[in-house]
Amino acid sequence: MYEFIRGPMVSISFMIFIIGLLYQAFKFFALTRKKELIFINLPFNPDKPPRKQWFQRVVEWFLSLRKRTVWRVHPVMTGITCIFHISLFITPLFLLGHNILLDEAWGMHFWSFPESFSDGLTWADLLCGAIFLFRRIFVRRVRVITTLYDYIVLLITVAPFLTGTFAYHQWFEYQTVIFLHIVAGEVMFIATPFTKLGHMLFFFFYRFFIGSEYSFGRGTRMW
Amino acid sequence: MSTQETKPIRTDEIRRMLKKKRAKMKRLLSHCVHCSLCAESCFLYMAHDKDPQYMPSYKVLQSLGKLYRKRGKVDRPFLEHIKGIVWRNCVLCRRCYCPIGIDIPSMITFARTICRSQGVYPRVDESVSESWL
Repeated sequence: MYEFIRGPMVSISFMIFIIGLLYQAFKFFALTRKKELIFINLPFNPDKPPRKQWFQRVVEWFLSLRKRTVWRVHPVMTGITCIFHISLFITPLFLLGHNILLDEAWGMHFWSFPESFSDGLTWADLLCGAIFLFRRIFVRRVRVITTLYDYIVLLITVAPFLTGTFAYHQWFEYQTVIFLHIVAGEVMFIATPFTKLGHMLFFFFYRFFIGSEYSFGRGTRMW
Repeated sequence: MSTQETKPIRTDEIRRMLKKKRAKMKRLLSHCVHCSLCAESCFLYMAHDKDPQYMPSYKVLQSLGKLYRKRGKVDRPFLEHIKGIVWRNCVLCRRCYCPIGIDIPSMITFARTICRSQGVYPRVDESVSESWL
């Protein structure tokens, strides 16, 4: 069982993740074939001619987000959400243990963070997850729209980090913990394209491709 | 009792309408992570002492979300309840802001279209007598 979970099942879950996301992307582009320029996003400061370097313009655009997005209304919550999502993405990718396994399997690996830094990121992720859980239980406006499904999705997202921390610090019985860690990671891979976690992909599709007043790009696609 | 209130609900027609827009609406509904960060963008939410029933996400989940969950098998009292949500609690000003980019107004509009197809909509003569206004 353990050999299957750490062997073929990793490839199967990864394939489901990639093919599932590609399928969702294909469906999205097929559904939004119609194009129309309804919302024209004007430059943030139209008086200044755009003579700046592209990097400076990107930085200015990025900084302007805090004035015209949810950053302004909920800076703390938005900050927590950003930390959660960034650590969720970079921690497993640049984790030393994962890169050693990658190197053994395929002879290639990414650059790795120092172990203590990865551990810190994991703790940050768990703390953010705990704050989300706290909001779901104790903040009325979140509680009224929360269902069991939301708790399950939060568990799917946090479980690989929780079990990963236990494995790294060798708390509890290592073999069981590492088994649960691998299973949790695979469940997250499989669930992503077909659940709420699909917002990983659709966040960018909705904000950049769909024509909308709140679009970040010059989206022209229509549903 | 007006003819609008006695007309039977054609669930097959509701199901057909839901099915027609299913690909878009189910996607939008399923990608809502129930974060409630859209709340402050609704002026009705702010004007009603931050009452959660005025949150854009709440309105969508309680109207269109329930229509999909019930697969269109709804009765008149249910549609009358939705009427209150999509007409009284929302004026479709399109100011609601979803961090993920979900098009909330299009979902409210669709819920209104479904209600209207069954003759459920606010009338000028009910403004003083009906409690929902």
